[in-house]
Amino acid sequence: MNLKIKVNGEDWVLDVAPADTLLDVLRERIGTKSPKIGCERGDCGSCTIFMDGRTVRSCLILAVEADDHEITTVEGISYDGISELQTLFLEKNSFQCGFCTPGIVLSATELLEHNPNPTRHDVQEALAGNLCRCTGYEPIIDAVLAAGEGGSE
Amino acid sequence: MVIANEFDYRRPVTLAEATEILANHSGSVRILAGGTDLVAWLRDDAIAPDLVVDIKKVPGLHDLKLDGDTLRIGALVTFTDLIESDVVKEHAPLLAEMSETVASQGIRNRATMVGNICSAVPSCDAGPVLLAYDTTVHVTGPDGDRALDINDWFLGLRQTARTDDEVVTHLTIALRPHGGVYVKLMRYGGEDLAQAAVGIVAYADQEYRVAFGAVAPTPIRSARIEDALRGRPLDDALIAETVAMVRDEISPITDIRASAEYRTRMTEVMLKRGLVAATERLAGTGPAYGTRLI
Amino acid sequence: MTVEYPFEAEPEDAELKTVGTPVVRIDGLDKISGAAQFVDDIDFGPGLLHAAIVESPYAYAKIISIDTSKAEAAKGVVRVATGKDFPYKFGMYMEDRYIFAQDYVRFVGEQVAGVVARSHREAVQAAKLIEVEYEVLTPLLDPRGAVAEGADLIHPDLDNYTHVPWFFPKADTNIAHWRKIRKGDTEKAFAEADYVLEDTYFVPRYAHCAIEPHVTVSKFDYSDRLTVWTASQSPHTQRHLFAEALAPLGLTHKDVRVITPYVGGGFGGKAGVSMEIMGAALATLVKGRPVKLRWTREQEFYNTYQRQGVVAELKVGVMNDGEITAVEHKLYWDAGAYVEYGANVVNAAGLSATGPYRVPNITNDSLCIYTNLPPGGPYRGFGYSEFHFGLESHMDRIAMAIGMDAVEFRRKNAIVEGDELAYGASMNPSGMLEAIDKTAAAINWGVEEESDNPNTVIGKGMALFWKAPAMPPNSSSASFLKFNEDGSINITVSGMELGQGYLTVMAQIAGEVLSVPVGKIRVETPDTDRNPYEWQTVASHVTWSSGLAVEKAAIEARGKIFDVIHQVYGYEDDSLYLEDEAVKCRTDASFSKPLREFVIDGIQTEDGTWRGGPIVASGKFMPEFTNANSDPETGQGGHPNVHYTVGATGVVLEIDKETGRIWVRKAALAVDAGRAINPDLVNGQITGGLVQGLATVLYEDMRFDEGGKMLNPTFTDYKIPTAFDIPDEIIPIIVEVPQPDGPFGARGVGEHTMIGAAPVIANAVYNALGVRIKSMPITQEKVAMAIIEKSEECAE
Repeated sequence: MNLKIKVNGEDWVLDVAPADTLLDVLRERIGTKSPKIGCERGDCGSCTIFMDGRTVRSCLILAVEADDHEITTVEGISYDGISELQTLFLEKNSFQCGFCTPGIVLSATELLEHNPNPTRHDVQEALAGNLCRCTGYEPIIDAVLAAGEGGSE
Repeated sequence: MVIANEFDYRRPVTLAEATEILANHSGSVRILAGGTDLVAWLRDDAIAPDLVVDIKKVPGLHDLKLDGDTLRIGALVTFTDLIESDVVKEHAPLLAEMSETVASQGIRNRATMVGNICSAVPSCDAGPVLLAYDTTVHVTGPDGDRALDINDWFLGLRQTARTDDEVVTHLTIALRPHGGVYVKLMRYGGEDLAQAAVGIVAYADQEYRVAFGAVAPTPIRSARIEDALRGRPLDDALIAETVAMVRDEISPITDIRASAEYRTRMTEVMLKRGLVAATERLAGTGPAYGTRLI
Repeated sequence: MTVEYPFEAEPEDAELKTVGTPVVRIDGLDKISGAAQFVDDIDFGPGLLHAAIVESPYAYAKIISIDTSKAEAAKGVVRVATGKDFPYKFGMYMEDRYIFAQDYVRFVGEQVAGVVARSHREAVQAAKLIEVEYEVLTPLLDPRGAVAEGADLIHPDLDNYTHVPWFFPKADTNIAHWRKIRKGDTEKAFAEADYVLEDTYFVPRYAHCAIEPHVTVSKFDYSDRLTVWTASQSPHTQRHLFAEALAPLGLTHKDVRVITPYVGGGFGGKAGVSMEIMGAALATLVKGRPVKLRWTREQEFYNTYQRQGVVAELKVGVMNDGEITAVEHKLYWDAGAYVEYGANVVNAAGLSATGPYRVPNITNDSLCIYTNLPPGGPYRGFGYSEFHFGLESHMDRIAMAIGMDAVEFRRKNAIVEGDELAYGASMNPSGMLEAIDKTAAAINWGVEEESDNPNTVIGKGMALFWKAPAMPPNSSSASFLKFNEDGSINITVSGMELGQGYLTVMAQIAGEVLSVPVGKIRVETPDTDRNPYEWQTVASHVTWSSGLAVEKAAIEARGKIFDVIHQVYGYEDDSLYLEDEAVKCRTDASFSKPLREFVIDGIQTEDGTWRGGPIVASGKFMPEFTNANSDPETGQGGHPNVHYTVGATGVVLEIDKETGRIWVRKAALAVDAGRAINPDLVNGQITGGLVQGLATVLYEDMRFDEGGKMLNPTFTDYKIPTAFDIPDEIIPIIVEVPQPDGPFGARGVGEHTMIGAAPVIANAVYNALGVRIKSMPITQEKVAMAIIEKSEECAE
């Protein structure tokens, strides 16, 4: 089936099968590798992307459903230099292996867009769907809280 | 793993086209809205339809609005829509309280409440709350529209009163002043399916609606507990009386998520705390919506 | 014996500029920008093939027949393979596995056949067409049942298996290895003890749950060389095992190349060789085409290493003054269907099952028992997390029974430098007492706290931990270092960046010696063709071992730098030093020669000729004081462990008395890092390890049905912590009592931070409720039901 999709500002037209997930098409057909394959059933959040400005699980979306929609990934938000939030991730060691990091950066970015001064509870709620096995979350929460208090005002 | 089974995909742009596709298809068909259950099931090989009908381009299914005292919730309204809606916040904050317990942000941005009750798993979060709200489910099909009482909706495990060629268009809830509560037992602080759940709506004059999730093959209401509560002031003795009824009202199973006994004991605790909170909320006091009671 | 620095060390009073500072990680920008490449992210072009594996639905069965004809005829299929294609054994410490099952399957999920197809979907579809006929046998799922008289033999040929010399399999039983320690006279000590406590503790299996599943791409090219891109903690060990297992195909070590980019978490699960061997083997059948094999999350649960379950029978004797006089610890390990790696977990636990205590009389029996569950293997903590649950629960109970404060009791018995270890060698320097005191202070030990909420109670707990790296006595590390024109440095090593910050730490060590800032040092992930040897990134040993190899290379490079300066300017080597990327001279304050001016091109002399040239160096480290040759009946005589890292954990809990829900309000963890090369990274290990450990005790748990099938192989039902499931406050405490032979005094801390978590919760739950739970996990359901049971007992 025909799929017309915008990914990180670029237009793509592809022929995909109905059973292809958006995650697979982004990774294998478009070459956008930051959404990761972690569980393929919506539990882990490592395939998180922005679809029309909101985070979604690209493993739970058929590629054909994304027809006429706009996708942004971490590559897209890092293109013109990393964000303040990403800088805080660097400073606060808010990652270890880095596999879940793209998804977490996007979930935190969505939170800060809707809630520029989140509480610790708000941050936990926003990140609760992104599993990280390495960090124990504390340094991630620290970075998001710092971004909230900082320049996003 | 990839979705191994192949299928056809249709994306109707009118309700008529959708029902026509459904009516004319002879094989197995699934309706796709948010897809957060459906795509996971496809991937797990739990279902193998030969046609998937995506209704997201059908107009008119996104409504979330108040008509007089009737709250209308379209089939494509997501849990995030419910959480972020001012109408819900003001008139039915219980829907937001329940929605916040569903999965996680990235799922709630996609998953619809109607889809939740169409999947009809015993632990579906919307079930107990929509039961407690006396919700009406509106479907349309080749024989026209039907308005179903939510009490007649859940027929069994993953079975509903919707026929294969019907589409749920929206839900309606007749609102009057109330206090509500959704209490959900989970294995830990993070995202989880309910091990047991209680949804309660309290109206003036000691009128209650009490429903349970994950403690029977479907979400269920307890008329007996509601009758016991009716017209009597809620005090410790009445709470104890209704809590004592729980064991006979529910039929939980033992599985890897919890034992039947634990589910029963916790349903008792949740009913106790829930009744107090709902009653207080009706009076304008009590814990803020969204506060976890267990 | 005294452990010495393996080469001339930095002067102790040297002022450190990089080591000990929280420099920004050198892999940071890669990881936060989406640039970091993991195996699955590498493109292989249109020639890439995909593999799918057919797995046994039975825990124990004889394979009667396999019909692959339908799969072979299916669309897109390139090749189908079964055990008959690869009748080769392999294994890390004991060769008890085949690449694909031969005549028997021994766990649910065991690989029976593989399909290689042009697309992933076609491979999966074709795998469903393979028909396998089984004769189903009764599985052995309980380790104590499997050692009972008359139990079926899961491996009847055990006696013929090749294994390392420190394993002692018992022929005609299901005991693959029995580690014994006999020290002193336990029988006499128990008879003379004032108090003896005996009980049994149960620990289930656990899953690593790295968020990146195992994935491997293998290519066997037309020149007969095998290249494997793999998500692994062990590139060189994988190369070695691939070369050995596939030797019948004519492969030698030089023909096998393993490339390991960033790894999305390991925790032991990606050590050794598990599913990768299937990918490598299948690739040999489709010459010239790369083959990708990626585990699903479900396979990640049931067909990679699992943390072994254990039943621990523990008996401890003490005197009234609190002195521990005897420990008898019998550990029955549910090691699974194959123990090629897991048997060493059993060994490690057996050597150290006294815990961090001075114990004169010891009887340890650690039994590696075959069962029909998935293969056990390495998992962060390597046996220590498992036995500490019972041991540290027991210590609390004993202290209470003799009326002694639990912290004072531990302080009194804590092992310190020079004390004799269970196997006869002496304990290394450690900051155990400091760790105990600081942890106790952090949670206000001894001060009872009351909850404001009538539904909840508060409890506190403490637990100690220790662990030594478990590795072959001669496991080693090596490094290459080279300067670039601008004075920047490239280092190649073969330790893995698993997230712990290894690359950054190696850069800090080299940077310290060479006065080069970390930002000018690149440390490459391994490619076994190019990077020098590293045994594996396991055992919390790479900061120590690989760190020493890097330090040595840096020292060698520095020597070469000084030689050039000496040749050209005549300064004596011992008057020279490096500072701010330049060579300086103690006897001539005016002299300063920036590195970038000569580390590649050399220095021109007065006659116009040049001296020097590219500065390159190498370093290696192998411990030369260890040996694994101990008496099989007593465990005495060897020196199997290099050193122990110790520490303490403390928590403050709040528990809902009606629901059993537990909130960890505060958690403190002190670990003796010897020297924290990068304190932020040590804190990262403390926080991450503690949360991982808390999950094992609070809700994680692998469940199996009566047929040995795992019931919860998804994150939907195997819960790992989310951002909500962390303590309200974590207090990391770094203790630094230097390790005499560590780089700048450092020793490893990676695994240790999760070891104390399980017993500390058990102890705090008891403290809050008076309920002692002796089986993990201590779920809210278990706590709630225990409270109910207790209150109903009281009511009777």
